[in-house]
Amino acid sequence: MWKRIASGGFVAALPFLAPALAAYVVFVIGPMFSAIRLSLYKWSGFTTDQQVFVGFQNYVRLFTKDPVFWTAVQNSIVWVLLSLVIPTTLGLVMALALNRPVFGRNVFRSVFYIPGVLAPIAIANMWRWMYNPNYGVFSDISKALHIGDGSGTTFLSDPKVAIYAIFAAFVWQIAGLNMVLFLAGLQSVSKELVESARLDGANAWGVFRHVTFPALRPTVVVVLVLTIVNSIKVFDLVVGMTGGGPAQKSQVLALWSYTQSFLNHDFGLGNATATILLLITLALVVPYMIWSTKGNED
Amino acid sequence: MSTLTLSRAKRSERSHSPRRNADYIRAGLWIALFVAMLAWAMPLVFVIFTSLKSEDQIFSTSSFSFPSSAEWANYAKALQTGNLLTAGGNSLLIALIKVPIGLLISAAAAFALSRIKFKYSRALLAAFAMGSMVPIQVALGPLFRVILDLGLLNNPIGVILPYIGFGLPYQIFILYGFFSAVPKEIDESVRVDGGGNWRLFLQIILPLSKPALAALFILDFVSTWNEYAIALVILQNKASQTVPLAIQGFQSQFTSSYGPLNAFTIMSILPVVIIYLLFQRYFVQGTFTGAVKG
Repeated sequence: MWKRIASGGFVAALPFLAPALAAYVVFVIGPMFSAIRLSLYKWSGFTTDQQVFVGFQNYVRLFTKDPVFWTAVQNSIVWVLLSLVIPTTLGLVMALALNRPVFGRNVFRSVFYIPGVLAPIAIANMWRWMYNPNYGVFSDISKALHIGDGSGTTFLSDPKVAIYAIFAAFVWQIAGLNMVLFLAGLQSVSKELVESARLDGANAWGVFRHVTFPALRPTVVVVLVLTIVNSIKVFDLVVGMTGGGPAQKSQVLALWSYTQSFLNHDFGLGNATATILLLITLALVVPYMIWSTKGNED
Repeated sequence: MSTLTLSRAKRSERSHSPRRNADYIRAGLWIALFVAMLAWAMPLVFVIFTSLKSEDQIFSTSSFSFPSSAEWANYAKALQTGNLLTAGGNSLLIALIKVPIGLLISAAAAFALSRIKFKYSRALLAAFAMGSMVPIQVALGPLFRVILDLGLLNNPIGVILPYIGFGLPYQIFILYGFFSAVPKEIDESVRVDGGGNWRLFLQIILPLSKPALAALFILDFVSTWNEYAIALVILQNKASQTVPLAIQGFQSQFTSSYGPLNAFTIMSILPVVIIYLLFQRYFVQGTFTGAVKG
């Protein structure tokens, strides 16, 4: 009797699923498909204006007549590549250093991690002030070390440097988060294996290479995927620090899509950019999804 | 403690030099950590210093110099002109409504996916999990239209609904893992007693999952408090804006009043920092181990 209730099927599951499905379909999946559909139309976004079907014309315009789009693509790719190396390595080093009883370990851990809980828009404002060419902390450091011509620094107003200056704030924001993930992963490293490797005469590097790192592999994958996702989503930091300037040289895809839709009132171009962003995300993340579902079936 | 006694015991049977080397390495490592920590703390320290300096002091002294006298006027000024109290109230209201409701909806869905057998439940789980990977900005334009059509622009409900939608994937993913770890025999015994799914969910599974729910509650509170992109599009007037919007608005309005600007930043991040310090263990445990286990 009760067995039948246990596998009550979709009807039994529906009351539990309905609110989640409704919210997900109406506010996440629906708008996402609308974005793909609207990328094929010419439309200002105003209700009073017509939506005119134009096929792939928006994409053609993006690829051939929009240099800022290419800047944004390039910056987004550079951002992903840099963040796969710098904040991840930093997080791993921090975790390895704090994975043993160190004096003041909790203080170290908190200081490294706290930036990760602050609002990115607040971080953007803090760093914008640090980069202030006249009174900012980096200006004072460069004057003290006699770097440059003594007139202070112009990181955020330098078209070549701006995107990297924003990226520095991003590293500050997420390295500690990676550290916490690695610290959690390090709990799964078998102490016996480390000990026996030591007894076999392995030095610290040998232990890390042959024992610690292989055990960390699943954590590394999670950290890399989260890093990619967080890199593609970067928006607040750029808005708060440069707004995409100077001369649109620090644009990223997420912000360029917003700018075209809401500031230039071109929903076609904005949603075409959003669709490209979606495709890039899927191309980077789907392999991981396939890999992880395969792993669960073992 | 135990390592100390261990090393003492070992010391007697070993020569001195490797031990001393190890001590040097340990001291060097600690100093390196300390220097890194100072570098990491610098942005916050610098902002706190600036927020307590008078305008004269900001312009005339080095940014490393200690504030000569605490200039609380900066804080008063930021409070008066920055719309911080209104925005703080809005943010608090939105978080206090969104977080519990969203968590309950996620938990119910995770329960169905992990406890009730039905066709395509795995595919549905994957569809939810996918959502955590997609940048919010992809849906921003159409989302604005949906909220406009619902007549919810400049209304807290207009952000609460999308927040619930976008919060689901991660929470369902974590709670699914947590619920699946509860032994299936419990279900059997509840059903033998004549209890249905609701009783199983409300009286057994939810109470057993308190640690995961608490961790998700805290994390979600923080990310709701910090959210900027959706709020930027939906909450366009000053009366409805949240704290992140107020920060950005204050910056663009008072570009060069550095003291109040930094005081504003400090006040806006204070609630989150306090929550972090109170509930540290939730940030570090629970959720992340769930994420790493996969």
